Amino acid sequence: MEKSGSIDSLGSKRSSSRQPSVDSLSSTSTSRSDRSAQAKPPSAMSSDSMSTSAEFSPELRVKPKTAVKQVLRDSEKEEPQLLPNETVQDMAQDITYFCPFTGAVRGTVMVTNYRLFFKSTDREPAFVLDLPLGVVSRVEKIGGASSRGDVSYGLVCKDMRNLRFAHKQMEDTLRKSIFEVLIKFAFPVSNGLQIFAFEYGQVFPENGWKVYDAISEYKRQGIPNESWRITKINDHYELCDTYPSTLAVPVNIPDEELRRVAAFRAKGRIPVLSWIHPESQATVTRCSQPMVGVNGKRSKEDEKYLQAIMDANAQSHKLFIFDVRPCVNAAANKKNGGGYESEDAYQNAELVFLDIHNIHVMRESLRKLKDVVYPNIEDSHWLSNLESTHWLEHIKLILAGALRIADKVESGKTSVVVHCSDGWDRTAQLTSLAMLMLDSHYRTIRGFEVLLEKEWLSFGHRFQLRIGHGDKNHTDADRSPVFIQFVDCVWQLTRQFPAAFEFNEYFLVTILDHLYSCLFGTFLCNSEQQRLKEEIPKRTVSLWSYINSQLEDFTNPLYVNYSNHVLFPVVSLRHLELWVGYYIRWNPRMRPQEPVHQRYKELLAKRAELQKRVDELQREVTNRSASSSERAGSPTRSITPVQTFV
Amino acid sequence: MFPVKPMKPTFKCYLPPVQTDVKKTIDPPIKKLEPKLLPGEIVVNEANFVRKCISSESSQDDLWGKLICTNFKVSFILQDVPSKQKPPMSHLLLGEHDIPLTCLEQVVTVNDTKGKKKVLGSNQKLKFNPTELILYCKDLRIIRFCFGEAGPESAKKVCLAIAHYSHPADLHLLFGFEYQGRRYHESKEERVNGSASRGGFQTPIFDRPSDWDREIKRTGASEWRVCSINESYAISSSLPEFIVVPVPLADQDLKRYSVYFTGHRIPLWCWNHSNGSALVRMASINDPLQQRKIEQRVFTAITKSHPQRSEVHKFELDKSLPNIQDIQTAFVKVRHISVIDPFEESEERWLTSVENSRWLEHVRAFLKQSAEIVYCLDGKNVSVILQEEEDRDLNCVVSSLVQLMLDPQYRSLAGFQSLVQKEWVMAGHRFLDRCNHLKKNEKEESPLFILFLDCVWQMMNQYPAAFEFTDAYLTVLSDSMWIPLFSTFLFNSPKQRTQHLMDFAKNKAIPPGEDQVVFFPPVWDWSQQFSTKDQTLFNNPTYIGKGAACVQNGEVKTFTRTKQKSYSSTMRGTASSMRNGVKERGEEALVRRSSLVSELKPDFSPVKDESPSERFFRDWFSQPADQQGLLIPLLMPSHVALWKLFFLRWVPEACIPKGGPITAYHKISQLVDEIEILQSQLRRYKGPSPGNTPLPSQREPPLTQRRMYFKATSPTPPDYLSSSFPFTPVGNLCRRSVYGTPISKFLNGARTWLSTETLANDAV
Repeated sequence: MEKSGSIDSLGSKRSSSRQPSVDSLSSTSTSRSDRSAQAKPPSAMSSDSMSTSAEFSPELRVKPKTAVKQVLRDSEKEEPQLLPNETVQDMAQDITYFCPFTGAVRGTVMVTNYRLFFKSTDREPAFVLDLPLGVVSRVEKIGGASSRGDVSYGLVCKDMRNLRFAHKQMEDTLRKSIFEVLIKFAFPVSNGLQIFAFEYGQVFPENGWKVYDAISEYKRQGIPNESWRITKINDHYELCDTYPSTLAVPVNIPDEELRRVAAFRAKGRIPVLSWIHPESQATVTRCSQPMVGVNGKRSKEDEKYLQAIMDANAQSHKLFIFDVRPCVNAAANKKNGGGYESEDAYQNAELVFLDIHNIHVMRESLRKLKDVVYPNIEDSHWLSNLESTHWLEHIKLILAGALRIADKVESGKTSVVVHCSDGWDRTAQLTSLAMLMLDSHYRTIRGFEVLLEKEWLSFGHRFQLRIGHGDKNHTDADRSPVFIQFVDCVWQLTRQFPAAFEFNEYFLVTILDHLYSCLFGTFLCNSEQQRLKEEIPKRTVSLWSYINSQLEDFTNPLYVNYSNHVLFPVVSLRHLELWVGYYIRWNPRMRPQEPVHQRYKELLAKRAELQKRVDELQREVTNRSASSSERAGSPTRSITPVQTFV
Repeated sequence: MFPVKPMKPTFKCYLPPVQTDVKKTIDPPIKKLEPKLLPGEIVVNEANFVRKCISSESSQDDLWGKLICTNFKVSFILQDVPSKQKPPMSHLLLGEHDIPLTCLEQVVTVNDTKGKKKVLGSNQKLKFNPTELILYCKDLRIIRFCFGEAGPESAKKVCLAIAHYSHPADLHLLFGFEYQGRRYHESKEERVNGSASRGGFQTPIFDRPSDWDREIKRTGASEWRVCSINESYAISSSLPEFIVVPVPLADQDLKRYSVYFTGHRIPLWCWNHSNGSALVRMASINDPLQQRKIEQRVFTAITKSHPQRSEVHKFELDKSLPNIQDIQTAFVKVRHISVIDPFEESEERWLTSVENSRWLEHVRAFLKQSAEIVYCLDGKNVSVILQEEEDRDLNCVVSSLVQLMLDPQYRSLAGFQSLVQKEWVMAGHRFLDRCNHLKKNEKEESPLFILFLDCVWQMMNQYPAAFEFTDAYLTVLSDSMWIPLFSTFLFNSPKQRTQHLMDFAKNKAIPPGEDQVVFFPPVWDWSQQFSTKDQTLFNNPTYIGKGAACVQNGEVKTFTRTKQKSYSSTMRGTASSMRNGVKERGEEALVRRSSLVSELKPDFSPVKDESPSERFFRDWFSQPADQQGLLIPLLMPSHVALWKLFFLRWVPEACIPKGGPITAYHKISQLVDEIEILQSQLRRYKGPSPGNTPLPSQREPPLTQRRMYFKATSPTPPDYLSSSFPFTPVGNLCRRSVYGTPISKFLNGARTWLSTETLANDAV
């Protein structure tokens, strides 16, 4: 396969201006440059300006020198380095980009089957905009031909920015505007084309599709054991087509009964094991709502099943059912045949509502947030504007819910059942966050990938529907930033426990960027079954292939592996912050906060160097003392003093 | 000790437990409880069997002991010696349960059964027997004592004593004047060697021409001179004796002009940029007829002192910044929401409350103003005059912030202290009035210095490697304002200090000619308050110091500053005619397509032209920040944060156990400690006589040479680390009981704030 320099295209979003701090990094960078040379990091998204806003996260600054040099060379070139199988579809001159921060820029636009590439012709250094078409939510032609003969197009993006371009009215009316071409490739699904992930054939040293294996993950948790077994009942997705094929259920419930339980749970999503406490055997199980309906239907099998979940944990004679929804919403679901467990029917169970709102509320909240942060932040009323979006309030409720679950399992040694309506949005948020607090394995890079593969992808969070990959129907009510919200919650945890996570902020931003980019197959489709049918693992590259091939970029150097350390964050607005490194990153007046991570890496290099010298001297001294009997008092080789940095 | 995992117990445990065993604990064996007294400290009043409240929900953790009022502090001596660990940072002069009288903001007595409450002042009567005493402290602690078992009379007496002694009638009654005299004589022998050299600390005091001379040389301000017309405070009572003025201005003229300036405060040099631009501060000119003329003279002189003869830009800070009352009001509000409001109830509207306090708005205003001035000095290469009515408040904040942004020297510990000394203490900031130590005039009280520290923290938060000192240092410095033992925060002006200290020296039989720094030390002598080990908490492990070296590929590289000097070209505007033309059409188009407006509008709001200063800042932000160069804080409202350690350190609910930035600090400290061990090993290898073989046993440098609080040898973070570290909320913040604990409340309290649209859609 052609080794195209995708480093370069990544580089274009990095500012070459970071060089001095790059310089300050030593040997670590050398080793990495080798690796990234073969790994070829694909370009995620690019900046909205030539400045550092380009950088998603401070960690980006730590870049191998070679890459930086390439960037310099690159920015002089007319076009980006294309990815494998990326083909140019159209090019146009004399396009104006209206940068909301620095004013109008004139330049050229190139559209490929993967990206839009704008490069200014009237600014020095050149202003470059390089964005994957996957982030485009909609394209609108603004106004018809005006007297001056300009046509203007607005691009609304999924990643918290809007772009606007204009060009002269086409002389030749038959010729399509480049933005009409763009529409075709931005929404391949709606235009009968293939999503680019199916064409991108990059080979990485590591195969990310092997990161998660359900059986070995259950094994890590000690499953099967005397109370839990692995069932193959869903092998062909017959019990539940949105569940994974491998499920862990209580030992004493035979497969036959599982079918009857499935009949009573929405979409057949029966309670199954997500996580088991290694000591107390208290479990986190997840499911969908019971089909209680207005008449208060009951299911003996379901009741018995929950009893079995409780009995599997000898430490507690109680079971907590967390209905993630607000109580009123849960009740309203009865009209559609759903509802919640009545405490009369479920002995020893306590039902708790966690008051987290549905996907529509969250979508609206993020939309408001975008209004508040993009393009400019108003000087006054920032905090009240932020409050009025309720975004942090939602984050708080989600974290509070996860905290309660973690606390019940860890401190109360009680098993919990978590569900919302269908059990694929809020339930995924809650179980995965609780597991992140409880199990330090999920706080490693690979562990986190497993967590996403398991709780989100295999359990059928409907990524295709929620994100709308390649689909032009931007008003689709099924779209919702549920996953973004989860990643935001994870970021909040990393802020409160800066040494407890192996990954850094750049890791989280990269995941979100490729959630939209459609470069990798990871977030395509709605369920495991669909992914299998589409042969996603065979036909596309996994995001984890890319990430795991250059782990160092995504590693938090401050990570301390506290074993058996449960995180109990303070879920208060006093500690929750807006994730400016993600939501406000397009603003050139924002600089990623100077990271201590970078500094730590410098110090690590320094320690290594000093250690080397001390060792050398030690050896010299040893040698000398061995020979000193012969030649006493020979002067030592003079050593350059190491300057103290303080 | 604060429970390590407050979330650990089941939620039942958060319910207030039934108070059954209270009786058991109150039959203590009579023990003599002696307070630890400083030289010159005397006990004024005391009460036994007092309960110090630890938690507002239950009394089970409460501490029993004796409440003592001395002429220095309120002290609480525990009945039972606690078995728990010492607090991480222990104060040498104050015990864990002590509060200096100057730190008291309000003394409130309560009688629960009668439902009465009274705020006590000096020499007041109390008509009821207090059952409770609540002390609101200036360092934001709230401490509560219960007198249930104490004799009603002794309870009343001790409350009245505390109230009385916390309102001293005169400055010289502050305990420092007693203590420092005794200390001076008692420690005379130890000092025999060091007294001439100012006790060995490095901070210049700026009470001598030589300190100013050094600053002039350091900044290359060759057209400026030290002027001594104010010797013996002949011209102005609030200016220092030695000031720096432009060479072209003669003493004669200065004397003549001085009468027209408020407080006779003639222009005062602060700092010089390496490009020759000067930062000058001055009071306003009170005679409107003379104003133009004098200003003209002053401006001309400053222009002449500029190597490029560049013009002078005057900033009238009174007009652009909030005044001292605004700042005080904001501080009172932000303090209220941080510590007084019940935690959970205020949660819902937290962001709006912070905004409404306007504290962050003011912080941002000062930073922004300072950044604008930085732009003038650095980007436009013009000299700047800061003008304020009295030149003693806002000018202090802004001039020190500007210097902090421009000059890395001031970001070192010693440099920062000299900056405070120069721009605050010697420049005549009215610390006595602004701190309201005598509780005489509340109108004069204003936390300008805390506002300044908050601004410094904002910069430190954004550039953690640029400052030699830590968050904890700034907090401890703010706390020191409320300990009346240091000359730094006690006086309104250098003259007042000199006079009081002269009288003091006379009264205490201190030999004439003795250095005041020795007999009445400033706060900068930190060994007065903290052990060497605890002082290491001031050291920032990530600091990139001057001449900082970084080892790279076996070479030691010094950080050099590559300064982008392309401002002139970057400030050139882009072809604006084209831009404007397109812009107009764009707006028309938008109006027609109203359907799009809703979502697209924010993006297509008119493209604003950048001002030159905005361009300057954007350019600067697009470059890597040089920690040893110019440093401009991010000024967007989203990047100005609440200083959590300062405002929330006592709030138990806000304390993240085993979390917070300190966990990162711990890890970095260990690494730096390892580096220091290696460095000292290297030094020994190439010791004075190169032939010597180092002793293998001496692997580590002596502890006194190690700068890090956390040592390489303690790999696992200690359990007591929390976001409040090195402070602890236990017993330091006890609001009056609002039942229902924070956690249980918010976890059970179902709140729906959203519309019915929610409901309808949930079934989807």
